[in-house]
Amino acid sequence: MDRYKAVVILLVEDDAADQKLTRQSLCANRIGNDLRAVASGEEALEYLQRSKQNEPDSPMPDLILLDLNMPGMGGKELLKALKEDPVLGAIPVVILTTSDSDRDVLDSFHLQAAGYIRKPGSLEGFQEVMRDLTDYWFVICRRVEHSRSAGKVEMSVS
Amino acid sequence: MEAEKESVVLLVEDDPGDQKLMRYALSQQDIKSHLEIVSTGEEALDYLERSKKDQDVHRPHLILLDLNMPGMGGKEFLRRVKRDPTMSDIPVVIVSTSDSATDIEDSYKLSAAGYIQKCPSPDELRRVVQKLVHYWFATTVLVKKTQETATSACQAK
Repeated sequence: MDRYKAVVILLVEDDAADQKLTRQSLCANRIGNDLRAVASGEEALEYLQRSKQNEPDSPMPDLILLDLNMPGMGGKELLKALKEDPVLGAIPVVILTTSDSDRDVLDSFHLQAAGYIRKPGSLEGFQEVMRDLTDYWFVICRRVEHSRSAGKVEMSVS
Repeated sequence: MEAEKESVVLLVEDDPGDQKLMRYALSQQDIKSHLEIVSTGEEALDYLERSKKDQDVHRPHLILLDLNMPGMGGKEFLRRVKRDPTMSDIPVVIVSTSDSATDIEDSYKLSAAGYIQKCPSPDELRRVVQKLVHYWFATTVLVKKTQETATSACQAK
């Protein structure tokens, strides 16, 4: 059963190069993960609405990685909307940004971000950060069990 | 004075054995931290209130919180911290023996920044705490930066 339980990470990032770096860094990890990338806050909300409807192609994420500076709905606005939602509010959201302004750090933690990571400049740096991140969230932390049973049962029967 | 440079951890835990284990696990890390311990949610709220006025009472960068405690339980403490804008920015990580799905879900809904199950073995706890301090004190940028700038500005060495 375990191999069907890859952790689901939703990356909200408008920069294609940063999406690629994050994906590559996570692949270098031992933790089996299913990375879903969307390019804006609006797209993230659409994805998560589908997750709430239990749509199998949009599994509920175990963790959200969120960029702050994006066109349209910014990261903080999305974070606020997520934390106000009784279901989505339980998903840990980690900020992944180039900004290290004190204001952004403080705002993010006030809005209940579960971590704030500055994007490293190199692939090596990215891998290190993603290793620490996945070690924390997926090795030592317990997670909310989302009802993904429908998909799992189908797969194990076939 | 040392605590001003280090990350300050507030442990809210009523069991003396578990307090001792956590102190040991944190002391074994390459990333050093300053540990403050209180035994109840009430004491923890009192500590946080004092940290606002008294410079010698260090505001924690991270709170480690047990769930099952006499008096105000861990969840009630978490609810109060997250409702108060003067302290809601402090990340709170649950450290509990409970593995009930309800406790895990409730904690995350109350904006816990992680949920760790207690392990009785000191070696295992040391390894768990290593990942914890790496994530919070090396990988994550904490609000402490802002405060350290403020503190160092008024501290003539």
